[in-house]
Amino acid sequence: MYQVEASKALLKPRLWFRRPESLRVSRNVIMLGFTSMLTDISSEMVATILPIYLVFSLGASPLALGAIDGTYGGAAAVVQVLAGFTSDRFRRHKQVAEAGYGISAVGKMALVAAGNSIGGIGAIVAFDRIGKGIRTAPRDALISLSSTKDNLATSFGVHRALDSAGAFLGPLAAFGILLAAPARFDAVFFVSTLFAFLGLAVLVLTVHGKPWRAPREGKPLSLRKAFGLVKDPRFALLLAAAGVLSLTSVSDALIYVGLQRKIDFDPAVFPLLYVVTAVAFMALAIPVGRLADRIGRVPVLLTGFALLFVCYGALMLNSLNYVGLVLVLLALGAYFACSEGVLTAIAGAALPDDLQASGIGMLITVVSVGNLVSSIAFGALWVTVGLQHAVIVFAIGLAVALAVAAPLLVRSQRSALHG
Amino acid sequence: MGSRNTKILIALIALCVVGGGAYIAVAALSPNETSTNAAPVAAGDSDARVMVRAVDPEDTRLNGRVFVVEDGKVTTRSGKDLTCERVYYAAGKGLCLGVASSGVEYTGTTFNSKLQPQHTFTLTGLPSRARVSADGKYGAMTVFVAGDSYRGASAAFSTRTFMIEMASGKTIGQLEQYEVIKEGEPFEAVDFNFWGITFDPTDSNRFYATLGTGTHHYLVEGEISTQKLTVLRDGVECPSLSPDGKQIAFKSRIEGTDSWRLKVLDVATLKDHPVAEKRSIDDQVEWLDDHTLVYSNGTNVYAVPADGSGQVQLLIKDASSPVRIEAGEEL
Repeated sequence: MYQVEASKALLKPRLWFRRPESLRVSRNVIMLGFTSMLTDISSEMVATILPIYLVFSLGASPLALGAIDGTYGGAAAVVQVLAGFTSDRFRRHKQVAEAGYGISAVGKMALVAAGNSIGGIGAIVAFDRIGKGIRTAPRDALISLSSTKDNLATSFGVHRALDSAGAFLGPLAAFGILLAAPARFDAVFFVSTLFAFLGLAVLVLTVHGKPWRAPREGKPLSLRKAFGLVKDPRFALLLAAAGVLSLTSVSDALIYVGLQRKIDFDPAVFPLLYVVTAVAFMALAIPVGRLADRIGRVPVLLTGFALLFVCYGALMLNSLNYVGLVLVLLALGAYFACSEGVLTAIAGAALPDDLQASGIGMLITVVSVGNLVSSIAFGALWVTVGLQHAVIVFAIGLAVALAVAAPLLVRSQRSALHG
Repeated sequence: MGSRNTKILIALIALCVVGGGAYIAVAALSPNETSTNAAPVAAGDSDARVMVRAVDPEDTRLNGRVFVVEDGKVTTRSGKDLTCERVYYAAGKGLCLGVASSGVEYTGTTFNSKLQPQHTFTLTGLPSRARVSADGKYGAMTVFVAGDSYRGASAAFSTRTFMIEMASGKTIGQLEQYEVIKEGEPFEAVDFNFWGITFDPTDSNRFYATLGTGTHHYLVEGEISTQKLTVLRDGVECPSLSPDGKQIAFKSRIEGTDSWRLKVLDVATLKDHPVAEKRSIDDQVEWLDDHTLVYSNGTNVYAVPADGSGQVQLLIKDASSPVRIEAGEEL
């Protein structure tokens, strides 16, 4: 079905203004979106109640929570690249993604069965993160391979909108269950497991493992060829641009902490910050994707990072009222909508079909390492020169990064056209 | 995709809805309790007047009712509507923090001298410390907030310390927003955590607290009116001012561990000495009088002289969060 749709889209004349139907996404993308949504509902249900469960039911010290959170750390980065390469090599994107979703689902089941030791729960959380590391690159490659070069950003927008809906619905489901059945954490774990397996079932039963662009023949991919990607100017320039941009963008968690120091709001309002940002992201992901497909992905991506200036500006003010706060959160949500999915779409367009997962795996790793370094650097600056000056340094850094990244991205696009 | 797969998927969804719904329905009929009916037992021959919350030795995580123990007897207890994990009381105003009956939220409750709830508010995390100023004007509390996992942005555990006006139950400030001064210079870092407020008994506008950053745990002195904190010295956690305001009892961390020794410092000189308690204590200590500390460890409440002499005395069994009740208080 999607093959027909996709080839129809290809036949459309390349006009600046296209009829909206030509940006319709394939059924595969929507099903992958539902897989992610169900899996995210499952994960967020557990993530929401895990801290309170550990402390209240197991009597853990809150100090142990930090350690549990830190257990997965760097493992994810290595797993992402390897899983990406493996799925390209054996042309088994769907199967590798299934393994990733399956590992997380089994982990949830283990939580129901034996969730009574801190060490065990730490291991299960680590398990979940590894599953996430395994599935991300092959899943994004499948999204990319199920799309035309014209509707890539729309496809990623649709997927990310569904994905973030899951992140939003998960906590609601957990609270709803505990409202009906006070303090029965086992009921939350049970339902979370059902959602995880439903997500896996949608993937197994409805997602086509060999979408129309998926390579079917040829020699198995060698590790050498995969890593040769970094020498391909199209992709190398993109990696470099993604690297500098991620180095100068402050994580949302740090922005929230900063806002909290600036604004005199009720502590109970704090969780709402995430909700406002998530809703903005969810609502904007699809329109922004369509816009990127129409007017160009690079300008949308750069605009997204430029929206971070709004957040940085707010952190430099002495005080901020609630209207200002909402504007900052909307800007942050719009930044999410314009950045990660659009960047992956740009990569999807630049990468050869047989190297999609490897390339996307490398890109995710570069971005996550960049974000990690940026968080550490921002924290260190905050200690030594104060929040205000740390933000100024990052704002200047972001301006420089945009100035550097823009020509890199434009050159990458040109090589993509001619190379 | 064949229609066979669609049918399988629809069947699976139906199975999950039925299975999940049934599990939730059964769970809803037998919810887990979050509070206990346990009562404390006075031990030892002290004539002290202390408010505590009961600890169920069978299940220490549960909220306990509020009790007053005096002259070796339990004299007053709260109803089912006032159960906590942490309690404090001064000048006719009480503050009770605990897990909500949903098991997933925490609530704070102010109460009056008849141990009746007055105002209830939601806490953003697990209750850790509670204090009420000697004049009953302000309440202060510290809660643990777990790392948020949204979009993988995970922060390690952190604390929030904020103050309320006891009469209205309204939040009046959060230490995270205060300006911090160290050695005359502004001082800030991303990993600032504040905990353990203790009010000046003679001036409720002034207080002390702990500021944790990196491996340091600074004693800070603060003022509500100016929203400023000044760093005094390192190595002081959960400070507690004596009734005369001249000494501070605190937890002193054994370097590199999560174990603590109780110590007392002189406010004028900031010099400290240990007390006779040799076990690791994780509590914000209370003063029975200007010479005696009272604190909880495990499921019991103990007392020890503040000057380092004497020995530890078991005061109340199956209780925690002890509060000195002044002789003039009517309860």
